[in-house]
Amino acid sequence: MGPLSGLKVVELAGIGPGPFCAMLLADLGADVVRVDRTAQVDLGIDRGRKYNVLNRSRRSVSVDLKNPDGVETVLKLIEEADALIEGFRPGVTERLGLGPEECHRRNPRLVYGRMTGWGQDGPMAHAAGHDINYIALTGALHAIGPTDKPSPPLNLIGDFGGGAMYLAFGICAALLEAKTSGEGQVVDVSMTEGAASLMSSIYGMHASGHWSDNREDNVLDGGSYYYGVYETSDGKFVSIGSIEGKFHDELLELTGFTDAPTEDRNVQESWDEKKARLGEIIKSKSRDQWDEIMAGSDVCYAPVLDLSEAPRHPHNVARGSFVEVDGVIQPGPTPRFSRTPGEVQMPPPAPGQHTMEVLTDWGFSSEDVEKLKDVGAVT
Amino acid sequence: MGPLQGIRVIELQGIGPGPFCGMMLSDMGAEVIRIDRAGNVSGVASDGPPIDVLARGRSSIGVDLKNPEGVEVVLRLIETADALIEGFRPGVMERLGLGPDECFARNPKLVFGRMTGWGQEGPYAMAAGHDINYIALAGALEPIGRQGEAPVPPLNLVGDFGGGGMLLAFGVVCAVVEAQRSGKGQVVDAAMVDGAASLMAMFHSMRALGVWNDERGTNLLDTGSHFYDVYECADGRYISIGSIEPQFYSELLRLTGLEQDDGFAAQMDRTSWPDLKERIGAVFMTKTRDDWCEIMEATDVCFAPVLTLAEAPEHPHNQHRGVFTEIAGVVQPNPSPRFSRTKEVIQGPPANPGEHTDQVLSSAGYDPDDISKLRDVGAVA
Repeated sequence: MGPLSGLKVVELAGIGPGPFCAMLLADLGADVVRVDRTAQVDLGIDRGRKYNVLNRSRRSVSVDLKNPDGVETVLKLIEEADALIEGFRPGVTERLGLGPEECHRRNPRLVYGRMTGWGQDGPMAHAAGHDINYIALTGALHAIGPTDKPSPPLNLIGDFGGGAMYLAFGICAALLEAKTSGEGQVVDVSMTEGAASLMSSIYGMHASGHWSDNREDNVLDGGSYYYGVYETSDGKFVSIGSIEGKFHDELLELTGFTDAPTEDRNVQESWDEKKARLGEIIKSKSRDQWDEIMAGSDVCYAPVLDLSEAPRHPHNVARGSFVEVDGVIQPGPTPRFSRTPGEVQMPPPAPGQHTMEVLTDWGFSSEDVEKLKDVGAVT
Repeated sequence: MGPLQGIRVIELQGIGPGPFCGMMLSDMGAEVIRIDRAGNVSGVASDGPPIDVLARGRSSIGVDLKNPEGVEVVLRLIETADALIEGFRPGVMERLGLGPDECFARNPKLVFGRMTGWGQEGPYAMAAGHDINYIALAGALEPIGRQGEAPVPPLNLVGDFGGGGMLLAFGVVCAVVEAQRSGKGQVVDAAMVDGAASLMAMFHSMRALGVWNDERGTNLLDTGSHFYDVYECADGRYISIGSIEPQFYSELLRLTGLEQDDGFAAQMDRTSWPDLKERIGAVFMTKTRDDWCEIMEATDVCFAPVLTLAEAPEHPHNQHRGVFTEIAGVVQPNPSPRFSRTKEVIQGPPANPGEHTDQVLSSAGYDPDDISKLRDVGAVA
C-alpha cells in the first residue's frame, strides 16, 4: 500500500483538477470517499464509467446536498476525515452548510482543500472559467506556440500541473503540519497561481534579459534549432533537446549536420536558417530510422509518440508507466516509492456504488443508512 | 512560516525540476540546504543575489563531492535531515558514496528523493534528455498544437515543472508523512516521463470513450472547437475563450452578438467547427483586447486576456491576489498554494554558492578548527 495508507479524505465530486488530485492521493493509498450527487445516480448500466480514469481508486457515496440530512451525513464523514477536497466556486460550500467554519467545528484537525481557477477572492473570483483562461492571465499561454499565434497546451498547465498537483502537495504539507499542531487549515489553490508558479524559471530568465516576450524567439519555445520538434519522412515527428555543448556535438555527429559549430549555437540570427537545414536532414529519414540512430544516445532525443503509441514504447513498458484497468489503458500511479508502492485501488465507481459500504465503514449503523435512504438524503 | 516548518531537506544542486522542488519545499517553510559544487564558489564578493528564481529561499554550502571528506560532510548533514533531493543520472549518487544504502545507514528515516527524466531504470535510463524528449515519449507532446501544424512544445512546463518538480515535491511530502508514522524512509523515484504521462490521464479516458481524435487540433480542448481557443483582436493582441458548458456558450454568443445566428446553435457539431471558428474570429477582430475585456471580463463567458510576462504581474486580479512579488529587484510568482494559518513565505533571495558554508557547518556541530581544516583540504568552499 502507498505512503498515504491510513489517511481518510472526503472528495466533493467535481470535474478536472479536483478528481485528478483525489486520484493522486488514492493511488498512493489514501482512503478517498467521493461524494457524488444523488441526481447523477444512473440505475441503468453506465458503459462510460470505467473510462473515467480520474475517478479510479476510490469508493463513491451518493448524497443529496440540498437535504439537511445529506449535509449532516457529509459532516459526519468529515468528523472522521484527515482532509477534504472541493472545487466549487467561492462561497458555495458555505451556502451548503459545508464551509470551513462548520467543518472545523466538527473536526479542528481537518485540512480543507479548495480548488478554483481564480482563487477564493479577487475581482475575477466569481467568474466562470477554464484552464485556457487561467493560464492566459499568467503569461504562460502567450509564451507557448508559433510566432503568429499562441497555442493552448491542452489543459495540462492549469487543471493538472498547476492545479491538481498544487492541491495534492498542499494537502500533504498541511497534513504533516496538522500532525504536530493538532490543527487543520484551509489550503486555497488557484490554478492561475499554480500556472504562474510553474513559470517561475521563465520569469527569472525574463528578468535577467534571457527571455523575450516574442514566441519562437527563445531557446525553449521553438526559437532555437537545437530544441524543437522536427518532421520525419513518414509524417511523424522527433524531439531534439541538445542544449548543452556536448549534447549538441552528439547531435551534429549523429545527424551529419556538420556545418553548425557548437560554439555558435546561440548566435540567434542563424537559428532560422539552421532550423531549415536541420529540418531537411531529419525529413530524409523515417522516425523509426532516427530511433535506430539516436535513441539511447546523448543527443537528448525521443520520438514524438501519440496516445496509442506511448503505452507500447519499450521504455514505458519496462517502467510499467501505463497500466490496464478493466480493459482501459491509462497512466499508472506516480511517483514510485521503494517500500510503500502506490497502486490503482479499484476501477472508477458508479455514483453511489458504495454508499452502504462506506457509511458503515466510517461509523454509521446499517439502520442509520436505511433511514437516510428513506428520506432521500443518500442513495 | 509555511506548513513544512521544522522539516529539513538536503538538496544536491542540479538544474530544472530539482531546484523547482527545492523552491516549493522552501516556500512552504522547510529548511532547505543546497549543496553547491565547491568549484562554483566564487572567491570574490558578489554584487547581489543571482537572478535564479528557482534557487530562492535556501542556504548554500560549497562541497567538493570528489573529496571523501566532502562526502562525509554531506553524510553528516543527512543524519539530521528528513529528506534529500537529487537529480543526477542513475548510479551517480551511488558512485559518489551517497547512494540510498549509505544514506539509510546514517539515517534510516531519510526520504531519498530522486528526480530524473526517464526514471531509475529502463532502456532510456542512462541517456541524456530534456523536457521536450520526456514529454514526447509520454505521449503528451504529440497532441499539442493546431491541425496540420507540427506539435508545439509547451516550454518546459509539463515535464520539468508540472510533471517533474511538483511530482517530486508531492512524493517527498507523502513519504515524510509515512516516515513519521513508520520510522522508516524510502526512495522516491520521480520520473518526468511518468509525471507527464500521468498529467495526460484524462485524454486516455476521452480517447477510450471515443470522444478524442488522434488528429491534432480537431478536438474540444486542442483548438479544434470554436469555443475553446485563443483569438486575435484588432490591436494584434489575443484573448482566450473557454465556453464549454451550454450556459457559458450562450453567454459567449450573447456578448459577441451571435445569439440570433442559427449557425452557432449546434455547439457540438464538429463538422461546423472550422467554419464557426473563422466567423467568430472575424467578430473578435473588430475590437481591441481592452474592448473585449470591458465586455467579457468577470462574466461567465470563461474569458481572459492573453497577457505577456510583462503584463501578467500588472493585471488587477493578479495584483489583488498577490500572484507576483518582487525579490531583490526580480519580479516572480509568489509561493502557491495559500495556507490560512501557516502562511507560506519566500525565505530569502537566491544564495550565492557557498554563501552559508560556515553557518551550515557550525550548526551541524563542526567547530571553527574543523571548518578551517575542511577548507584547507578543499573539501568545502
